[in-house]
Amino acid sequence: MSVSREDFSIAFRSALLKRGGAQKFSVLSLIFLALIIFFLDVYGTKFTKPVRGFINDVVYRVTFLASTPTRFFPQAGKDIASYLNVREENERLKVELEKYKSLELNVEFLTEENQNLQKILETEYFNKNLSNIILAKVLVDKNSPFLKSIIINKGTRAGILKGMPVTKNNYLVGRVVETNYLSSRVLLLNDLNSRIPVTLDESAQAILSGSGSSKPILEYLPEDYEILEDINVFASGKDGIFTAGTPVGKTNLDGEVELFVDPNQLSFVTVNLNIKKKDN
Amino acid sequence: MAKSTLLNKIYNAGPILLLYYLCISEVDTNLEKIFEIFSLNFQIILIYFWVLKRPEIMANGHIFVAGLINDVVMGFPMGISSLSYLIIIFFGTYVRNKSVNTTIASDWFTFFMAMIFSNLLFFSLLNNFSELSFSMSKIGYNMFFTLFMFPIFWLLFNIYQMTLIGNRDV
Repeated sequence: MSVSREDFSIAFRSALLKRGGAQKFSVLSLIFLALIIFFLDVYGTKFTKPVRGFINDVVYRVTFLASTPTRFFPQAGKDIASYLNVREENERLKVELEKYKSLELNVEFLTEENQNLQKILETEYFNKNLSNIILAKVLVDKNSPFLKSIIINKGTRAGILKGMPVTKNNYLVGRVVETNYLSSRVLLLNDLNSRIPVTLDESAQAILSGSGSSKPILEYLPEDYEILEDINVFASGKDGIFTAGTPVGKTNLDGEVELFVDPNQLSFVTVNLNIKKKDN
Repeated sequence: MAKSTLLNKIYNAGPILLLYYLCISEVDTNLEKIFEIFSLNFQIILIYFWVLKRPEIMANGHIFVAGLINDVVMGFPMGISSLSYLIIIFFGTYVRNKSVNTTIASDWFTFFMAMIFSNLLFFSLLNNFSELSFSMSKIGYNMFFTLFMFPIFWLLFNIYQMTLIGNRDV
């Protein structure tokens, strides 16, 4: 009995404290070091925040470089396929161009009318000040089972602050949750931690909650509200972060929202610098 | 002779380079586009196998640094993945110290124990010290598939070990 306990104790101590050969550090010393780093990071002091920001910037750049092969091959395949279909695409685009030319006049008229109506309502067109919208490239898009986020190549140097809304083609994508000098992390709408106030076509209010899957869900809908298919969902702007009326997605019969922008297919996004500046 | 030594060094560095690459690159083992619930913590399988079989090629310091890099890329508080990996190392080293020879079944069982403790520490720290919330079902699926895939990678790593590094079991 005592021999068995002694064996256990020797094996246990050896696993924790053993060094030598390739092992220059014992497991115990590294556990202590990891705990120190963890608590310094969690209870960030004035010293740790810039250090973490610097490490983030460096690692994100290295990640972008290291991921080049994984981006190159799928892209090369798409490029070859698109090259082979260039003639057909040209014909198709000509037809589309004609169609859009005929629509252009109509759009011009509607834009004018829209702006006049907004002036009447004393509201601001959310894309009025285009100089405050910046384009950012997605550096890292690691598909984690737990966190749905992307890293973009613009940070505090470009004026990005925490909480700013991120869009693609004017469709809402997420918001900035971490800023470094040269990069930022964007929390996507489908992340479990994402909650945004939205409004539905029939002006019903709800909260769009990320579910961890590709389709977020609607919560806190009015009582007895029946969800139908293909109802447009917009940001309500009640939180003061997202611009009211920014399109988000469409509902399906399961009560989920199919986002207009596929969160797994982002390469460029825009950050709206207007919102937070108004607050500051 | 010199050429073969260089090749041996490259083969020996294979697992640690793979670990670094998995932590720093966009490559992930979350195939939700194909099968929505499938995700896998490949890093812990890699660490456990090599710590158990050939600890001299999987240095603790490297694993610790790989954990820090993983935290930065994934957006977790720094040090938390390192802690989780160190728990795996601890279990692997303990099992190696206690056992004379191991089989796939015994390795699978001890890996299950190591994974339970490692994930318990990881998620309880995240739950208590960060504002991130997690879906329990996702954690469950991740653990299930990691455990389920362990024997497959065990065989693959064994083949790698026997053909390229040379078997030197306890």
